This record gives sequence, structure tokens and C-alpha cells, in this order.
Amino acid sequence: MQHIDPEHHDGTSDATPGGASDQRRPGELVFAGLMLAVSLGLFWSAYGISGFEALSAPGSVPMATTVVMVLASLLVLLKTAKLPLDRSETLARDILPPAVVLFSLALAIYGILLKPLGFLPTSALFLILAIKFLARRGWVWTLTVSLGSLIVIWLIFRIVFSVLMPAGILPEAEFIQFFRDLFRAEGAQ
Amino acid sequence: MKRAIWGALGALALSATAAVAEYPEKEIQGIIQWGAGGSTDTVMRSVTPHAEEVLGGSVVMQNMTGAVGAIALNHVAGASADGYTLLMGAENPMLYKIMGLGDKDYGEFIPINILARGTPILVANKDAPFDDYAGMMEHIKANPGEVRFGATGPGGLPSVITAMINTVEGELDVIAVPYDGDGPALTALQGGAIDVMPAVLGAAIEGIRAGNMKPLAVFDVAANDKLPGVPAVTEFNDGYSTYLPWGPFFGVFAPKGTPDDVVAKLSDAFAAGVEHPDFVALMENRGFTLMGIAGDEAEEFLSKWQQGTAWLLQDAGLTKASPEEFGIARPGE
Amino acid sequence: MSAVMDFLTVFSQPQLLLLVGLGTFAGVYVGAIPGLSVTMAVSILISFTFSWDVYPAISLMIGIYMGGVYGGSRTAILLNIPGAPSAIATALDGYPMALRGEAGEAIGVTTVMSFIGGFIGIGVLALFAPLISDFALTFQPRDYMLLAILGILLVGSLSQGSLVKGIFAGALGIAIGAVGRDPLTFAERFTFDFQILEGGISFIAVMIGMFGVSEALAQLHHVDKDAVRQKISRIVPSLSTVKKHLPLSLQTSSIGVVIGALPGTGGDIAALMAYDHAKRVTKSPEREFGDGAMEGLVAPETANNAAVGGAFIPMMTLGIPGDAVTAIMIGALFIHGLNPGPMLMIDQPDMFWFIVGALVTANCFMLLFGLTGIKLFTRIVEMPRAVLIPLIMLLSIVGAYAVNNSISDVYWMLGFGVFGYFMRHYGYPLGPVILGVILSRLLDDNWRRAIISEREDLGRFFHGIVTSPLSLVLFAAVILIFVSQTPLWSEGKARVFGRKGEQQ
Repeated sequence: MQHIDPEHHDGTSDATPGGASDQRRPGELVFAGLMLAVSLGLFWSAYGISGFEALSAPGSVPMATTVVMVLASLLVLLKTAKLPLDRSETLARDILPPAVVLFSLALAIYGILLKPLGFLPTSALFLILAIKFLARRGWVWTLTVSLGSLIVIWLIFRIVFSVLMPAGILPEAEFIQFFRDLFRAEGAQ
Repeated sequence: MKRAIWGALGALALSATAAVAEYPEKEIQGIIQWGAGGSTDTVMRSVTPHAEEVLGGSVVMQNMTGAVGAIALNHVAGASADGYTLLMGAENPMLYKIMGLGDKDYGEFIPINILARGTPILVANKDAPFDDYAGMMEHIKANPGEVRFGATGPGGLPSVITAMINTVEGELDVIAVPYDGDGPALTALQGGAIDVMPAVLGAAIEGIRAGNMKPLAVFDVAANDKLPGVPAVTEFNDGYSTYLPWGPFFGVFAPKGTPDDVVAKLSDAFAAGVEHPDFVALMENRGFTLMGIAGDEAEEFLSKWQQGTAWLLQDAGLTKASPEEFGIARPGE
Repeated sequence: MSAVMDFLTVFSQPQLLLLVGLGTFAGVYVGAIPGLSVTMAVSILISFTFSWDVYPAISLMIGIYMGGVYGGSRTAILLNIPGAPSAIATALDGYPMALRGEAGEAIGVTTVMSFIGGFIGIGVLALFAPLISDFALTFQPRDYMLLAILGILLVGSLSQGSLVKGIFAGALGIAIGAVGRDPLTFAERFTFDFQILEGGISFIAVMIGMFGVSEALAQLHHVDKDAVRQKISRIVPSLSTVKKHLPLSLQTSSIGVVIGALPGTGGDIAALMAYDHAKRVTKSPEREFGDGAMEGLVAPETANNAAVGGAFIPMMTLGIPGDAVTAIMIGALFIHGLNPGPMLMIDQPDMFWFIVGALVTANCFMLLFGLTGIKLFTRIVEMPRAVLIPLIMLLSIVGAYAVNNSISDVYWMLGFGVFGYFMRHYGYPLGPVILGVILSRLLDDNWRRAIISEREDLGRFFHGIVTSPLSLVLFAAVILIFVSQTPLWSEGKARVFGRKGEQQ
């Protein structure tokens, strides 16, 4: 069953992945080639784990799976190369529009800043900029929405589930301890 | 309420200037080396609340798994030595160096408390054609290469016990089937996928009581009062007394460089936790031997444990690197 | 008679009833948020309930467990982001329904079906626990391996579009699952000598990245498009709908119970296998699978909730955990002075019946909380995308970190998010990747155990398969399913039956 819903050509539903079945989307060939390269690299690495030492060696299943990867990606590459290129789409508009590039970069920067700066400042920065950029509304609205939701997330994860995200520059733990002492003192009275 | 807010801001300002206040002035992170539900996890989660009471602060426990606990060890070793990050671990790190799993062990840490020690026991599938240690040895000799032993990877308890048997009795011709923990291996033992499993008493005790597995011998110098009627392995072969008593242990550690007064406070807290009747009852029930040692006594225990085990594994040819390379002396030298 | 009294303990004590309810309510939300897992919640509850009695503590945990397994379906349907691995299959048909504005109906069906599946699981636990646990114990390493292969063959039904791309994705998943130090020999695999890779890649992080971040990135394409208005008038499914799907739900629940009872496999695998089963047995669905087929919701949701009862079977009868959550519950029982093990059912049968009672209560609460408050939930999808997208990204980050308190998991999550975005665009299905990661260890470890047990002798290995009835059945199923996915089969079938087979 070849079911591609033209409405959801972008792959928003996993059950009907994006991609055209009879045409090659921009960049698809490069991606297929990249996958073959990755598969070959992983195969080489899998071979390096234990070689053909024994059936039960730690490398035997990785080797088998990477062989499957190499074969499958080779098939995909050949198939893709044969398909005609979809001229109605361009890489910059349909695959990597500026917003996607920008957000991927923002996420990368988030990852870099998370440890030194700490969870709260980094996330505040990310949310404010992202929501401001996407919604294009006033600063008061942007700040209220982003900081409000950040506080809710922080309360759930940090206080209820005690997930200790990197604290960074804010003395989070001391702050919480202060409130804890306050409650304890009041409870004791 | 207003006062509270100002107070909070004040606290922020204070901590920013790092005023030396009474430890602990914030919550302490306890990094558990193993996954939730494992025995290290259970032991730590049951001792820590008692320690918290004495400490007057809270300890947030987190599981950090991966690479046989090395991920957690490296994380705590890299954290600042202020007593706010503790490692809650088991015996494995003492073998990381010789097993090629890492370049750090508890030598980088100050032991806050070595809580308890486990006793190994050899158990067999309930339908196994032998009933005790001597019978097992005969059966293995009569059927070379047929008996399946459970294992948990190099450096795990089964590998040490198997090395001990090999050293004392001579090389055994058995199949070692690897599992990723003694829980899954004991399950497999009950299902007949393996025949014999060296395990810690606590993990096997309920199965033995129910008759789902057969105890062969306790790996200790004397029988255990939790399992009367199960002989100690030294009763079969006195050669084991050189290496016993031996067993895995659980301990709480702080990175080296942690201020002495902080260490003292933590040690007191965990010492009190170990003595709490609830914890004592829990551990006794599971067949663990309480230790509750700290300071020099703990250091000495650790280095003795490491020497004995490392050289045992080295002599059995199971190590990646010789203990000598890391300055681990042969016991008795 | 005392069993009935113990069973009714929960109902007779308002405090316990309240705790189960509270737990279930919280569980639905814990399950719905990707990254907050039931495992995490229950292990935090160990410390939280430390000084409590054992009954209240267990009540709360059971509530969270039941609610959490169900809650994963919420975000799967509404946002195409499964809240938990066991809801991956639910997203396949649930999200297309939400795209048509039928989220309310989808949630309603899911809730009722989870309730039915939950009950079947509990029923089997109450009536046949010793029988099932004996059966589960007979699974040898080679049987687990065959089961894993059976699971991997699901790639076929999870990859619409290109099967080859699906196979690639599945193999990639298995490779991802192998990264890090091998748990059996401690050999480094795919670590390229980076210390950060030694701990492996958390599969939850992969899942959150592939489904959460990549979904958010894909949504950026139409930030300004209005969200789909959801009809929420028809929430409770009609009796005829339930009746129609009852035979299927009985079958998939049985899959759920057995897979749940096996130590080492849980609701995630059960749900995927059930989805595959539904696809095979449903002759003429009203809508195609992947397009919003009701059967695609019924199967995984009955199976994963039935797996809850299943997971308690080895725990209660043998002290062996059926999954990660029951493993922590065993720890909780220890801490509260009990000795979970084979003797528990004999020494303290009251505990068994109490747990059965609490599960039944939690299941009922799940139905209650599931069918109410849907309006609020569907509001989430109607939120402006400009706010929703950044929030999904942030939640994905926190969730990935929370799994193992590790920043490297966050990096992986982000990396797989971007990678998944490209995969979506070029027609590679994401489901098989997660399937591969889930099954990687099961396949690899058990293959090695099996072949080591046979002294590396393939002849002995196959002899073992042929002489064991269980292995033989599993082996036959593997062959049958494999053959049925090759083009040869559909051709043959077409010739015999004179119509085109249903294979892709």
C-alpha cells in the first residue's frame, strides 16, 4: 500500500512518513549517500569490536546489523538516484526553511550554554526569543507566557520530581533550602 | 509573606558572597551508581532517610547508570568537593583499573561509611543432579563442559567466586553464561537456563526458603545463621579460608578534598542511619552483615579488599592490566 | 473468605481509596509528559513514602503505575509525541485522528479500551498467576531471542511507504542500542574512544528526540496555520463500537499479559506486537491503518494496560520483576519490611489480594479521569503553535535530562531530533528506529547467551530449537511472518484466492 497523503507531505505523521514515492525530493540523494557512508563507517567500527572471533562475541550482532544497514542504504541510494528530481520543491523552502535552520541552531546553542549558564537562565532566554520570534507579539505578552510556563515546568521537574538540572549561575539549591527551612521552622512552632 | 520574600532575596545575596554557614545549607545530591530497584538502590534509599534526620538536611537521591557504574563514579569525582555531591556505590569501582574500565576508583574518595557487606552463596537449579558443593564438583568432573554457571561480566561477584574455585580446586571445565545482573541470572536459574549461580545471599535467600533453588555452600568461613543447615564452603575444602571472608559491600563516599568537618558530620549521620533498628532489621533479613565503618578503618578495609580481589583475579588470568601497574600490592607483601 | 476481605481493603478505607485516586490522577499526567516516567515517579515515591505504612505507600504507587501507562497515549494522540515508549504505536493512528478533529473520540476509545485491557490483565493476575509465572519461567535465552526477532519483523508493518527504508531504520535502531560498554563483556562498542559514549545512548532520549523535537521542527513549517478544531461532543464510545472491537481487544490483551509477565519485556514491546497483530487480523478496517484506524488504537492500548497486570504476575508469585516499575515496587516492599519472593503469596496472601484490589480501583479511577477533563487536554493542541513549539522543545530537553540526569542524553536527544527531522522528510519511518533500540539488548544478549550455552555450536543450537515445543512454535511464527512479508507470498496468495493479498 503506497499511501502518501498530499496534505501531510512534510512527514508530520510517522505512520505515513513524508517523502514522495515517485519523485526525489531536494537533498534526498545527498541524505541517502550520507546514510550509506554512516553505515559503512559503523560497519568498520563493528568489525573492530571483536572481528570474527566467535559467534557469541560482543561484535557479532553489531556486525550483522551494520551489514543490513549497508545493504539497505545501498538499495535506497540506487533507488533514489533513479527517481526524477521534484522540480516544484527547493531545499530552502520545503526542506530547510529559515525557521528550521534557526531553531536547530538555537537548540545547539542551548546545549552549549546549558552547563555553564544553568537551566533557568538558558531556558528563559530560549523561550523568550523563540516565542517572540514565532508569535511576533508584544514584549509583555511574550515575557508573561514564556516565564510563566518556565516556572510551571521548573516547579514540576525540580520541586516535585527533584530532577536536578544544572544550576549554573543561579544559587537554586540555597534558594530552595531557604524555603524549606522556613516551612520547617513554621511547622515546628 | 513579605518577610519571606526579602528573606529569600537575602539568602540569595548571602550565598553569592559564600558566607560559611552551617553545613548542610542546601540539599545534598546522592548519586546512586546502579539502577532503581537494584540492591544498591534499595539499601541506599532505606538508610538515607535515617541519616537525613541526624543531618538536618535533605539528600536527593538520583540513579545514574551506565558503564558498570563508572559514569556515576566519574561524575562525582568531577564534582566539587564540598560535601554536596555524594557517591552511593557498591564494590565494583575497586576493580575498574585492573579491568580496564576506568582510571579512577575509591582511592579518589573519602569513605563516609561502608554500610554493610554481603555473603556469597552458591545456588543450583532445584532439579540439578547434585545436592551440595562436593556433589557439584564430582558432577562437573564427570561431565566436563556441560554444567552452565551464571556470570555477570568480568569483575562481578560470580567472576570472583569462580576465580576462587578455579584457584582452590584447579581449573573447572564449565560454561559461563553472562547476564547483566544477579537478578536476571537467578531468574534464569529457576527456569533452568543455567545450572549453578554464585550470588549474594540476600538475592537468593527467598528463593531458597521457597525451595525454588538449592543452596550448595555458603562462601564464608562459617555457616550463616539465616540459612541453618547450609554448610560453609570451608567445610568441603579448607583452601578457601585464605580468601574468605569475602563479599560485596555498599558504601557512601565523598570526593577527596571535602572539608573534614563536613566529612565528620556526614559520617556521624550515616553511622546513626546504619544503627537505626529499621535498617538493622532490613539488612539482617536479607542476610547482609552490617559494618558501619568509616575513617581509617574503612580505608584499611577498602585497600585490603582491593588487594585480595585484584590479585585473585590476576592469578586467574581475568584482568586487563596487572594490579602492580596501579601500585596494588599483593596481599601479605 | 479472607481473600475477599483483603481484596476489599482499599474500598473499605477512604484514605487508601483517596491515595489510589490521587496516584492515578497524577499518573495520567506523569505518563502524558514525555520524559517524566512512571519508573521515575515510583522511585521518588520510595523516599516520599518511607515513613508510611505499606498499604498507603503501595496504593499510591499502583495508582501512578496504572494512570501512567494509560497517560502516555494522551500526547501521542494530541501531539504525535508518545508520552511513554508504550504509546508509540498509539500515535500511529491516534494522531491522524486528531488531525481530522477527532481527538475527543480517539481519547474516549483509548480510555475505554485501556480499561478493558487493564481488567483482563488484573483478571489473569488474580486467577492464573502461578500458571502464567511457571510458563514465563520456561522461556530460555533462545526463546527470548526468537521473540526479539519476531519483534523486529514488526518493521514491516510499521513502515508504510518504503520497506527498505524501514529495514534501514530498524537496523540503525539496533546499532544505537548497542552503543556503549557491552553489559556482558564490558567491551566498548561504537564508542570511538569517547568516554561520553561509554554509558550508551538512553533510548528514551532517542525517542524524545525523534518524536518530540523532530515533530516540533516539522511543525515550524506551518506556524501560522490554525490548529485543528477538535470536536469533543462524542467522547464516550457507543456500546456498538466497544462490542465491535471486543474480540480484537481480547486477543491483544492476551498478548499484553504474556509479554508483560515475561521478565525483560514490557508494555512497549507488547503494544507494538499488538498493533502488528491487529493489522494482520483486521480484514477490512473502516479506515486504513496509519490513517486513523480505530483498531490501531484498540490494539496497543489494551495490550499495554494488560501488561500491567502481567508484570505483577512474576513479582507476586516469585519476587521476580516483570518490568522496571515492578522492580522498584519489590524494593519498596523490602523497605517496608516485607520479603517479596516466592514465599510472599504463601506467608502473606493478604498482600496479593490487596494489590489486586488496588489495581482494580486504579483501573476504575483511570476510566473516570480518562473520560473527564478531556476538554482541558484538547486545549493543548489548540494552543497557538508559536507557544506550543518552543514548549515542546523545552519539555523534550528537560525530559531527556531527567531520564538519567545526564547532559550527554540531552545532546543525543537534540542530535536525534534534527536527524529525525530529515528522516521524516525523506520518507524514512521513525517507528522502526525505536523498535530497534528497544529490542537491541533483548536480541543481542539472548543470542549470545543461547549460543554460549550451546558451546558455540550452531548444530546444537538448532537441535535445541527443534526439540523444545515453545522454541519450535516461536520459530515457526518467525518463519511464517517473514515469508508473509516477502512479495512471493502475496503473489502466491493472489493466485490461490484470486484477489490481491493484503500485504504491502
